[in-house]
Amino acid sequence: MIIHPVLRDYRSIFLLVALLAMLGLFIKPVSQQYARQYNFTFVVDITRSMNATDYKMADQAVSRLEFVKHQLRALLPHLPCSTKIGLGVFTERRSSLLFEPVEICNSYTELDTAISKLDWRMAWAADSNIAKGLFNTLAMLQKSHSTVVFITDGQEAPPVNPSYLPDFAAMKGKVKGLIVGTGGLQAVPIPKFDAQGNASGFYQADDVPHRSSFGQSNLDPSQIEGYDARNAPFGSKAVVGTEHLSALQESYLTQLAHQAGLNYTRLTDLEPLQQALQIPEFSTQQLAPVDVRGYFAAVALLMFCCIYLPPLSSVWHWFRLKKTKDNVYVD
Amino acid sequence: MNLAVDSPWLLWGLLLNGLPLLNQGMRLHDQPWLTLLPVDRLSQALSLLLKLVAMLVITSLILGLAGLHRREQSRERIGKGAHIVLLLDRSNSMDDSFAGRTPEGREESKSSAARRLLTEFVQHRQADRIGVAAYSTAPLFVMPLTENKTAVEAAIAATATPALAYTHVAKGLGMALSFFQDQPLTGSRSIVLVSDGAAAIDKDDELKLRAWFQQHQVRLYWLFLRTANSPGIYDVAQDARDDNAQAMPERYLHQFFSSLKTPYQAYEAESPDALKKAIADINELENQPLHYVERLPRQDLSGVCYVLATVYLGLLLAVKFLEVKKC
Repeated sequence: MIIHPVLRDYRSIFLLVALLAMLGLFIKPVSQQYARQYNFTFVVDITRSMNATDYKMADQAVSRLEFVKHQLRALLPHLPCSTKIGLGVFTERRSSLLFEPVEICNSYTELDTAISKLDWRMAWAADSNIAKGLFNTLAMLQKSHSTVVFITDGQEAPPVNPSYLPDFAAMKGKVKGLIVGTGGLQAVPIPKFDAQGNASGFYQADDVPHRSSFGQSNLDPSQIEGYDARNAPFGSKAVVGTEHLSALQESYLTQLAHQAGLNYTRLTDLEPLQQALQIPEFSTQQLAPVDVRGYFAAVALLMFCCIYLPPLSSVWHWFRLKKTKDNVYVD
Repeated sequence: MNLAVDSPWLLWGLLLNGLPLLNQGMRLHDQPWLTLLPVDRLSQALSLLLKLVAMLVITSLILGLAGLHRREQSRERIGKGAHIVLLLDRSNSMDDSFAGRTPEGREESKSSAARRLLTEFVQHRQADRIGVAAYSTAPLFVMPLTENKTAVEAAIAATATPALAYTHVAKGLGMALSFFQDQPLTGSRSIVLVSDGAAAIDKDDELKLRAWFQQHQVRLYWLFLRTANSPGIYDVAQDARDDNAQAMPERYLHQFFSSLKTPYQAYEAESPDALKKAIADINELENQPLHYVERLPRQDLSGVCYVLATVYLGLLLAVKFLEVKKC
């Protein structure tokens, strides 16, 4: 067999391999691989207690809602490009979905603007029943294959009657999700706004109910002062409490998370939030085209660089030369 | 140009460009005495050229590997279209059918008919920037004015979730009008109000809305999804005592809209078909020259790098065949 003289030079072979690698690159630039994909629906509590200012950003006290918005916006560039994000708001006993999940990279500006426009004034009613709201959210999103990220401070207003909590047993395991607790553990006053949206002090103890007066009392009637089965099932004594102050109800939220089969994390900084979100449990393996051009290009580059390394033959030659010289010397 | 790379650390690989400078990369032939050879400018130039090509190969491969791309850019264009804000009623009654019942069988609820037809509408309006706002008791900011149709469709699709409370149309309109703040005044601007009911607007709000509509030059389309046997926008009071905004909010809202200084058009739709016609009509009307900013998505340039690398590689291989062989 006659080998073309050009091919007798190893450099030509390397060059040819490099060129073939590049051809491979153009023939198969992407390969279908299983990749982790995330799909989150952020449901943000926009009730009044979220206006309490117990977070700090750049030495400025900011409200819980502001902090949540800031963190979510900061989070966007840190999530993988293919992640889908939807947004909803919670108030009263339910949540409303603003938009279904969209891909971060394609809709970055829209997501960023929509999050920045979240406002407590969007609330269509002023109550805050977290347990029912969570239940409603899970029920609403159970068919959507989206991971629910429920962001709240856990402040119930008015306080709930523990006998009327929704039963999460039906929901457990149907929806994956995470409850993100916001706020500090120290109770702080909740700002009050007038009809024009101007701040007008804080909620006082007289402004809010301090115990549930809904339905049947869960206490022993004989223990209740001024009990009357029909007119005063909770007694006649005025209860003074600290419901006008708000703190992160962490134990309550962890309990809810446990009941509903969700995870719990506390919102402190970007990194812990990111870690809590990017767990295998929340991801789905989906076939997605993955750019594999890099492998071909790397082979081509390696081959090509080898051409310009000092050739083995010259090293060998040099070595042999040295040896013969040595021999000559010995002789 | 706005060029950027994904993995800047790979740019260290550009140091490999030193290799062709240090080594010839071709077969060397022993010569008894180099000084014997005359200086050949052409050979020197060729050798330099070959090194240059080799460096180009390495550079383009490294840039391709590092993921060279042009960042997302925007470009001003002129087309036919409009800035449209879809203002969607999320009150409870929207989940009923046009006959005013909970949909059963093949009946379609008002909101789902609106959702289906609006999605079609959005798909047809390629050059438009469309925003979405919703309202019930309070206004909800949903999606800013955007060219991104996928995002708008995601927002329209979200109205499939159960509706909220009552109707506070004035706040909703205020929210929709706020979309046009800080937006360049170009092409036509319009609000498409999709609702199945109306509410009285108080005098303060009327004044504000009137001023804003004029200030932002916004047209208004009202798609009134009328439930069978409910008051329509053209109804006249039978009894003078009923002739007020509380008793006949639809009629009064219509009168208020008609008194705006900016163009206004009402469509009363009592069936999905009528709704379809109304939307087609808006589609026709909203075709004015529009200055819009087209967003050019991030452009991957690594492909270009790889093509260049391949061309240069081919060139070098071709040159290889011209190499002088010593027998």
